Parts: sequence; structure tokens; C-alpha cells
Amino acid sequence: MKSSAILLLAAMGVLTAQVQAANELPDKQAPLPSVPKNPDQTYLTPRPLSAIPEGAFGDKVRLGYQLFVNTQQLRDKYVGNELNCANCHMDAGRKANASPLWGAYFAYPAYRKKDDKVNTFQERVQGCFNYSMNGKAPAAGSPELVALSAYAYWLGMSGLMDAANLDGPVPELSDAELVKGAKREDFPLPDTLAKAMTVEQRANLPGRGYPEIPKPELAFSPERGKAVYTAHCQACHGADGQGQAIAGVYSLPPLWGPKSYNWGAGMHRVNTAAFFIYENMPFAKSIQLTNQQAWDVAAYINSHERPQDPRNKGDVKQAQEKYHNDNDYYGVEVDGKVLGTASYPVFPKKS
Amino acid sequence: MNIKIRTLAKGIALIYGCALTSVAIANPTPVPPAGQLCVTCHGAEGEGIEPLGPRLAGLSKEYISTQLQHFQAGVRQNATMMPMAMTLQGDGIEQVASYFSAKSPKTEVKPVIRGEQVTFSDDTARLAYQGDWSRGLPACVTCHGPSGLGGGLFPRLAGQQASYIKTQLLAWQAGTRKGDVDGMMANVANKLTAAEVDALANYFANLK
Repeated sequence: MKSSAILLLAAMGVLTAQVQAANELPDKQAPLPSVPKNPDQTYLTPRPLSAIPEGAFGDKVRLGYQLFVNTQQLRDKYVGNELNCANCHMDAGRKANASPLWGAYFAYPAYRKKDDKVNTFQERVQGCFNYSMNGKAPAAGSPELVALSAYAYWLGMSGLMDAANLDGPVPELSDAELVKGAKREDFPLPDTLAKAMTVEQRANLPGRGYPEIPKPELAFSPERGKAVYTAHCQACHGADGQGQAIAGVYSLPPLWGPKSYNWGAGMHRVNTAAFFIYENMPFAKSIQLTNQQAWDVAAYINSHERPQDPRNKGDVKQAQEKYHNDNDYYGVEVDGKVLGTASYPVFPKKS
Repeated sequence: MNIKIRTLAKGIALIYGCALTSVAIANPTPVPPAGQLCVTCHGAEGEGIEPLGPRLAGLSKEYISTQLQHFQAGVRQNATMMPMAMTLQGDGIEQVASYFSAKSPKTEVKPVIRGEQVTFSDDTARLAYQGDWSRGLPACVTCHGPSGLGGGLFPRLAGQQASYIKTQLLAWQAGTRKGDVDGMMANVANKLTAAEVDALANYFANLK
């Protein structure tokens, strides 16, 4: 009797552990790839949106675009802040050196050492929902992930086809193929393209991610960054970093606080933010700040409290050791407070 | 030149009189003393009097006060507005900005949210909503908001006079209007062709 109760308890223990494992976030928002920019580089140019075909496949591509630029339509369903994908991916994910979707699509599935597994394209996008959007990722194969994958695929494939002078519509793919991503030998491609580039070359298209810039001469400093922010950023993002909404839409996004990305997002890293800012800010100008200014202002922005890291199990120190040991302020004391200890909620309802 | 100024002055006097009459009837909030001069060209309700003055109704307090400071500092050059702005001393700017920013624009514009429309047959609407990043041109609505409704430091474009939007884009190009952080608006304006300036001015002026 006694032993069977113990067995039962043990079995329950195993079950609980399994349930917990299943609830673990499937991936991390790993640093975006960054390579130095080559000034002579030409970049892949996707076809204009008007070239998206009619029909069911085209509808998925169009929906992907719409979700990308107005991600707020998923607020409270999968999105828990005031951001849209297009805030960090300029020109609706089409612009080189602004983490273009076409670059990402050909870079997945990819093995990631940190979580020791291969992430498909849709798993990578799920990471965006969990962290950058401070929300809850749509399930694998959901219409939203299919649509975003279809949009990314169409941008990339149309660009590659045009570069190779291949006319005709972008080949349609099944939903199951779309969500996997294109970095695989068995990815269906027109022969000309399959012969033109290796899988690895396609996975490293110029302009992918944000271009790397050198480390600053002086260690990055939020104090210096505050002055940079005041001079160059606050006109759009506000003195309080809370962005600006017009007609309920935050085109100018909140950079910290409860409405911004959480402590698990790639952008919370000072290096990633510095690369993004240097290349893409001030808006539509590109490269106005010095390296040092970009790093300093990235440090200033990311040394403010934001929504909690969803991987935190209740202990900031533990989460810091496990997930935050490079170029970020989680678990670091700033102005007498340890960041992460007073974090805002993960996936809150819109108030 | 003299004749022009005299005609302008007569026109102003005439409109001034009319404006004051309509204020008394339609508007229970009195124009602050500091704003008396403004209504001659901008109307008591900030509705604007083309071609003397653009619409102020619908502009934010922050925007109006910043622009008045820019006129005073000579960052924004305009033969009429520079001396007018100089008359606003002490709390004058604050009072004028508060008064006109509280006014509602006459044309109600239903905001179109980005992404509602994927493709545009009209090149101007496409420029306004999606920009042309091949030329480093972002969408107007990114900063000016859906349908160019404006907010904060970004003026409302929706329903503004086409002639005014045009002269301002040209002023950005000519460098007679400045004061934008890091030259962001000058950067955009300088990439627009003359035809695009005309088309965008008409587009925003006529938004419904």
C-alpha cells in the first residue's frame, strides 16, 4: 500500500516535470547575426507588394504583411505591448541592414548552441512574440505564423528570382514547407537558383541582421547615453521613452517601461541595440551618431526597467546567471535598484 | 512691394473685423489678448485663412509653441510670422498655443491604420503610407500618424491647406525652415520631386 503510494507520487513527480518542460519557452531570442557592412555591397530587392499574386497563396503573403506592419491587431491574443514588427524591421521587413525578413527566411532552420536544438523559421518568429512583443507565441502552424512565413518567403524568393532574371510568379509552397524556412538542402527552389548559390550562401545574404560596428573606445555608459538620447531621440520617443501614439497607434515606439520589449528580447542587449541604432536611427537618416554615441545611447535605453524575462522562475539572480551575462543590464544595479526586480508584467492585457 | 503690403493690411483689417464678429457668436472661449493678432490670418477658430495663414486647429500645443519659438529664433524664416511671433512675450506663447490647440479641426478625418491597405494604385497614397525606401524615404504616416493626424512635435497634415503644405515642403528644401532634430524633415523633403511636393500637399489637404 505504502509503496504504491510512493510510486504514484513518483509518477506524479515525473508528470509535473514533463508538463513544466512542455511549458518551457521553445527558444531564446538569440543575438541577431551581425557582420561588418561592406560599402560596395548591393542588396537583394524584393518585388513590390503590388506583385503579390491573387489567390489563396497571395492572400497569405498579404496577411503576413498586414500582421507585420500592424501587429497590434493581435494585441491580447499574442501581443502584450505596443510594438509592431515593423518598428525594428524598417520598410516592413524589406530593408537591408534592418534585419530584413528575406535575410532571416533563408537563415532558418538553424541550430542554436544555446538551446541545443534546430529552430525552424516559425520557431524563431515565436521567439519574437514571446520576447520582443512581450506576448504569447501563436501555436506552430497557426494561420499567423503561416502568413508571416509566407510574407518572408515571398520577399526573399521574389528578390532572388529577379536577381537571377527569372520571370514568373514566386512558386507556391504548402503551409508545412513555408513555416520551416529555407536553410535546408531539400528546400524547393527553381533549378537556376539552386545552382546559383549554396544553402550557406543563401543563409548569409548581404544586409542580413544589423551590421556590426566596432566596440566603443570607452566602456558604454548610460550617463553619457542620456545626453545622446536627449539630443537625438526624445523628439520622437519622448523624454520618458514612452514613444508616441497618434489615433491609438504607436508608430514611434516605446523604448522601455511596460509597453516595450521584455528582458528576453534581442534588443535588450546593448550591442544589438547599438548596431540597430547606428545603422537605422535617426529615422530614415542612418549613420548620424558616432560608434560611441550609439553604444552609449543603447546602454541608456536598456538600463531602464521593462517587462520581466518570461524565463525568470522567480529569482532575478538565477535568471541573470542563466540568461544574461553579456552586454545587458538585467540583474545589474542602476540608480540603487537591481533591474529585473521591479519588472513589469509579461503579456498584460491592454489597459 | 508697398502696394502689396497695403493690400495685405487692408485684407487683414477686413478679415479681422469679420473674425471678431464670428468669435462672439460661435466661440464662448475668448481669444487671449496675446492671440488677437493671430486670428487675423489664422481665424478665431484656428480654421486658417488661405493664403494668409494655415490652419492651427488640430495642431498640438507642443507643436505650436515650438514653432513660435523657431520663428523668434529665426530658425524658421517667414517675413510675416517672424515679427508676429516677436510680439509674444512672457506667457504669450503658452497662451496662444493653449488656445489654438484646444480647437477642433473642421474636417473630420477617419484615420486609416497602416496595413489596412496592402497595395495602392495611387503613387502619392503609397508614398504617404509606405514611403519609398529605395530612395530612403519613409512613410509620412510614421511620424505624422495615421492619415497625417499629427501629434506632439509632428503637425497635422490632414485637412491642412494644400498651398501651405507645399510652401512648407519647399521651405524645408530651401533651408528657410529648420529646427527639426538631426535634419530629419529636411532629409525627407529634399528627396521629394517638385511633382511629389504638389501631389502630397493635395493628398493630405483633401483627406476625408
